[in-house]
Formats: sequence, structure tokens, C-alpha cells
Amino acid sequence: MAACGLLRSLSSNFSTVLPLLARSAPLSPLQLASKPYFGRTISSSSRLSAALKFTDKHEWIRVEDGGVGTVGISSFAQEALGDVVYCGLPEVGTQLAQQDEFGALESVKAASELYSPLTGEVVEVNTLLADNPGLVNKSCYKDGWLMKMTIANPAELDALMDEAAYERYIRSIED
Amino acid sequence: HQNQASCSAVSTLTCFCFLTCSGFSTRSGLVLQSRSTDVHQNLALEDWIDANVDLQRRSVLLLWRNRPAVVIGRHQNPWAECDLKAMRRAGIALARRRSGGGTVFHDLGNLNLTFFASKKAYDRQRNLKVVTEALRRLRPELDVRATDRLDIILNGHYKISGTASRLSRQSSYHHCTLLHSADRSALSAVLRPSCPGIHSNATPSVPSPVANLIDHAPSLQWEELVEGVAEQYNKGSTDSGTVLVDPSDETLFPDVGRLEAELRGWNWTFGKTPKFSVETQLQLPEARRSGRLQVDVKNGRIDGCSIDAPADWICERLSGELSAVLVGERFCPNAAAAAVAALLRCENRRMRELCAAVLQVMG
Repeated sequence: MAACGLLRSLSSNFSTVLPLLARSAPLSPLQLASKPYFGRTISSSSRLSAALKFTDKHEWIRVEDGGVGTVGISSFAQEALGDVVYCGLPEVGTQLAQQDEFGALESVKAASELYSPLTGEVVEVNTLLADNPGLVNKSCYKDGWLMKMTIANPAELDALMDEAAYERYIRSIED
Repeated sequence: HQNQASCSAVSTLTCFCFLTCSGFSTRSGLVLQSRSTDVHQNLALEDWIDANVDLQRRSVLLLWRNRPAVVIGRHQNPWAECDLKAMRRAGIALARRRSGGGTVFHDLGNLNLTFFASKKAYDRQRNLKVVTEALRRLRPELDVRATDRLDIILNGHYKISGTASRLSRQSSYHHCTLLHSADRSALSAVLRPSCPGIHSNATPSVPSPVANLIDHAPSLQWEELVEGVAEQYNKGSTDSGTVLVDPSDETLFPDVGRLEAELRGWNWTFGKTPKFSVETQLQLPEARRSGRLQVDVKNGRIDGCSIDAPADWICERLSGELSAVLVGERFCPNAAAAAVAALLRCENRRMRELCAAVLQVMG
């Protein structure tokens, strides 16, 4: 009973930063022309875009060939973290639900939890980070990637922010 | 006695209802004090508060202390940081916390402070100011200041406080120690490696000379210190006083028992250790020469093992057999001893000696 009063009400501002595209609407050539961010082909609503999608926790995911997603943290996040001194990453084979904690990055500032952007299975972890955790700061979108995972539920990807929406999100929280 | 217990439970509930009351617009704090001296219970309470309390509009300070325990940081290696054998003998607990940072020794003379806040309100220097200002008011003659590393140094020299913190979904916590009257000889006896030859990229500790506040302000009482800090934290807010809580009380903290069990478990405490290897000599007095042991440890278990004993003293096949039996076992003398039990009982005295030498390394 007392605990119910303690439970935090979920922040309601997430929904305002979701992309405006309706998920189920098929893309017509006309619609495509007015949405220059997306590198989609007309023939399919293929998600094999090299574009990054972002979570409100400042993680990005990039879908590679074969439907595997590479996950990392954004430039905003690495800057806020400060110099990363250790990357605590999951074991290959770990099953993750969207928003599950999958590890932590330790910097001088704090140990910051990492949250899975999607539901899926960890298929690869960046072993370079063991000896060179600073890659997360130096090259957060490239060499400082954290892990790769399967995408069990592609619809979850649609709900993430594209780069433009993420930029707007950052500006809104910086104020 | 019964009345007292229920009264404090009611006041606790009142305070918690306070936390979510939407009528409050001022950002006031709440000071909690744990009744428990069990390190795992207290760490579980931290986890619970972090996950369940709405910190967007108010902050919480938790004051706690533990019976003797060594607390390692999130990504540290307990074998490298502390002497597990000595701790077992002395009944000193081991805990891995969820925040980063280095290894500390806790006992009843060490006050722990955890500052809970939203991620936006995360400000460690401001938190440490609560401590330094409180100390300045209590004993103005003491020179206490926070460094860039967020230690608190007494009289320019001695570390009396270390800091660590954790950032999660919506919230943050920053906790620090404060040495009032800790047992410094116990501290130095356990804060050394369990075994030699560890190669690891786990986060290291930065050792510092420490002192207790009572070494320099002998009249400072524990209660005085606790009250002084609580008062400083509550300065300028509508709340005052501290609320005593029992971290094992599931009516106040539902599911806290599960958090405690997770923190107490082997998988978290040892299994979370970053991959490391040990390379060291094996003491074989019977052979009058030493051997070499090389072990790879992953998730706290032996992942690879190679034993190099003089071939004219014990044949390679036998030392190979011992290596093979150990792979997959926890890197722990008890677990390993159980695994090699049959070999330890075998007729070959040299095999028994080799086993004993290997177990000796594990701490």
C-alpha cells in the first residue's frame, strides 16, 4: 500500500518525441518525396537502412545487412559521461527485452546503466573496448560500438527516433 | 515497545506519502537512516529507492553503516582488491556495489551517505559540500575539503571520504564514505590481493592514506556527526529530522528481499568479475623446486588452466588431469577442493601436494 504511493509515475514526455510517420501506412512515392531523411526503397518498407535510430536514453542502433543491429551511445551521451574507463558488456547469447539493462559504462563521473534499444539476442560484443574503453568517447558511432543484436521485433525500431527527431530531443532537454 | 515500533512505522509511511504528494512544489529533501548493519540489505535498499522513489521533485539522503565488510566497485576484481582468505577467517563480508569506483572497508565507525536525486539534479560537489559544511559547523578547527577526485581530505593529508555513483533510467545516486572511528588495522589487513600474479583490466583502486575524524577531533560523537549531516542536508527545507527504516521490511519496500538476494549471490559478487588471468609459482616443497600455474578466469570460473610441474617429479599426464578437472569450476578454494576431492584422496602423494599447492593460490 505504502509502496504504491512510492512508485514513480512514468514520464509522459517520451510520446512527444516519437517520429510523426504512421507505422502502418505504406509508403507511396509522393510521401517519400516529402520525407528526405529516409533511404527507403519504394518497393518495400525495408528496414535495411544505414540510418541511425535513437532511444531517449541516448543509445543508437544501426541495422546492418542480415538484420542484425549494431548498438552504441550517442555523442551527446559520451560527452555527458566523460572519459570512459571501463565497459561492462553482456555475454554473447544474452536475451534482452527492450529497455532491459544490458551493461554499464564506467567513467569518472559514474557507472551509467545501458538499456537495450530493442528486443533481441546479443550476437557480438566489441572486444576492442576491453583494452581501449576510450574508443567510446573517440569514435562513438564507429569504432566505439558496444554490441550487436538480433532484432526480434522490427516494429520496435519504427518507434525509435531518427536523427532529426533525436536532435530536437536533445535540444529540448538541454533547455 | 510494540507501540514504539508501530509509531515509527506510521511516521515512516507518512514520510513516504510525503514523497509523492503532488501539493509540494518546493524541492525538499528527506533523510532516512537505516536500522540495519548488513551491507547487502543496505545496498538493496539503495537499489530499491533508486528504482521506486519519484526523485524528479524531491531528493533523498540515506544514512547507513555496516558491520565489517569490504565493498568493491561495479567492475572490480575481488581477488585483486582484497584478501578473501583473511576475510573469511575474520568473518568480514564481501559485497560488490552497483556504482563504480574503488574498494573500501566498512565497519561501524564508517558513516555511509547516499544522495539520491534526478539525473538533472545530479551534483556530487554540492553533495560533498553538505558533508564539509556540516563538519565545519561541528568542529571549525578541522580543515576539510573536497578534491577534484571527490575525495574529502582532512588537514591537507588524510582521506576521510571516498565517492562513487550510479546513473540509471531517471535517477542517480551518489554515495560516499565518512571515516569517523573505523578500525584502521583491520582495513590494512584485508585490502591486499588474495593471490599474486593477477593480470586484469578491471578498474583498479587508488590507495590513499586515511584517518578517522576522531583522531583529530576526539570529542566528536557518532550521533553528533549523523545529526550534524542531516541538519545540514535539511537546511532551508521544510522537512527536518531523520526517519529510521528497516531495509528488510517488505511492507515498506516490496520485493527488496529479491534485490538483496541478487546482491548477496555468487553470480553478482564473483561472477561479474571482468575476465582475468593468474600466473604464479606453485610452492612444491616436496619437489624442492617450484612449478607454475596459469589460470584464465571468466565470470568467476576457470576457463583455462595450465599446470607446469617438474616432469621428473610428477608425470605430465597427471598434472594435465588436474588442469582438466578444474576447468569450469569456480575460482574458489572450496569449489575447487570439491572438484578435486577424488584426486586429493588418491594414493599418489605428489598429486595430493600438487592439488594443495594449486588450491593455495586461489585464496
